[in-house]
Amino acid sequence: MGIRKTWAMSGMVALLVLAIAGCGSGNNAEGGSSDGKSLKIATDASYAPMEYMDTDTIKGFDIDFIKAVMEEAGVDYTVTNTGWDTMLTSVKQGTEYQAGVSSVSITDERKETYDYSIPYFESTNMIMVKEGSEIKSSLDLKGKKVAVQAATTADELMSGIMGVDNGNLKRFDSNAVALMELNGGGADAVVADIAIVNEYIKNNPKEKLTGIIDKENFGSEYYGILYPKGSEWKEKLDPAIKKVIENGKYAEIYKEWFGEEPDTAALMNAK
Amino acid sequence: MDFRFDIIVHYLPVLLKGTLFTIGVSLVSILCGSLLGLVIGFGKMAPKWYFRWPFHAYINIFRGTPLYVQILIVHFGLIPLFYGKTYALMSAFVALSLNSAAYSAEIFRAGIQSIDPGQREAALSLGMTRRQAMRFIILPQAIKRMVPAFGNEFIVLVKDSSLLALIAAPEIMYWSNTMKGQYLRIWEPYLTAALIYFILTYSLSKLLNYIERKV
Repeated sequence: MGIRKTWAMSGMVALLVLAIAGCGSGNNAEGGSSDGKSLKIATDASYAPMEYMDTDTIKGFDIDFIKAVMEEAGVDYTVTNTGWDTMLTSVKQGTEYQAGVSSVSITDERKETYDYSIPYFESTNMIMVKEGSEIKSSLDLKGKKVAVQAATTADELMSGIMGVDNGNLKRFDSNAVALMELNGGGADAVVADIAIVNEYIKNNPKEKLTGIIDKENFGSEYYGILYPKGSEWKEKLDPAIKKVIENGKYAEIYKEWFGEEPDTAALMNAK
Repeated sequence: MDFRFDIIVHYLPVLLKGTLFTIGVSLVSILCGSLLGLVIGFGKMAPKWYFRWPFHAYINIFRGTPLYVQILIVHFGLIPLFYGKTYALMSAFVALSLNSAAYSAEIFRAGIQSIDPGQREAALSLGMTRRQAMRFIILPQAIKRMVPAFGNEFIVLVKDSSLLALIAAPEIMYWSNTMKGQYLRIWEPYLTAALIYFILTYSLSKLLNYIERKV
């Protein structure tokens, strides 16, 4: 008995070690081992209007933006819908995919694992409630049931306000399910990126929803292109991003997707 | 080695809370599920086809559709119908119990039907009623045969409860997803979750082996 138990436990430990070694060895090829000509980009195309699948093609603001950058830099590239988790692991390794573009917000904790491009998009979180709700700002959310998409900055923000293990803060796999929870009455509010909330309100006029912007408590956040640590691509592409923002191409794409002018000055000043 | 134990340590308290949630939900669900399964299992053995039919349908529907979908339907369809709004804890119990009942029903039925009909005939010829034959002759033998299958069902249920992260029930997977989001790292949260599930199911199988020997 005792021996069998030891065997099983050491087997499990061996598995763990293997897995750790696996992700470690991937890191040795840091920076992308490609020939430097073509860039393979991963995305999680389930975040309309930023990136989403229209049957079998990937569309969205991010996709048009990266196209402009790559044209500017004169680099061949492909964008593949890999889903979120695969994007994270493969970009970290940098062998199969050397970059990720998927509305990834830049935060200090994430910078410990990845390199980011210069900020290319300014976003803020927004509160969505049913019409007639007593919630008027983020401070009213304390003690209320709030639904967010797990692994987003909305999650992080609300974890900060309500406490990470607060049972009233509900994290869902996607914003779609979080929004269903609001409709189902299990949540009093949803907090999500402004683009997502506006898109949802626009597409569901019958559900009588309102969005609340709270600039005071929900500050700006910036999206960046995700690279492996020490990637050579950052240096190559940052000037192209800057150029696209400066020459008006960025504003053109922005207007096409959001119907308004971007605040490029704020974007350029963001760190 | 690029493996951050510090973020696991940071998340350990909530992961342990999630483990308690998983254990609690699994325990209640296996209990409710097997009670319900007992009824359904006997229902499926009813002599008249029109009496048998609903139980038959129940088993086929719950075994034939993904638990993933069942959880969503229970959470967003069934529970709001009775409760007025969504309620993750209740959805968790109900979805897992209903699903587990379908499998338990088949375990009961198979266990009972595995006993040679001669046993029942012998009991009846000794002057026992049909009820007594079931209670004293067939069930004790059948239960012994059901234990391993039940153990299996319990272990599957514990692992399947990870799907409850879908409706934000705060179990193990839910917290490892949260950890993933904060650091955008995959291995630490998933391997930690895997290890916790392994410890849970491994201790469970040891417990079940013990019970198997005792029965």
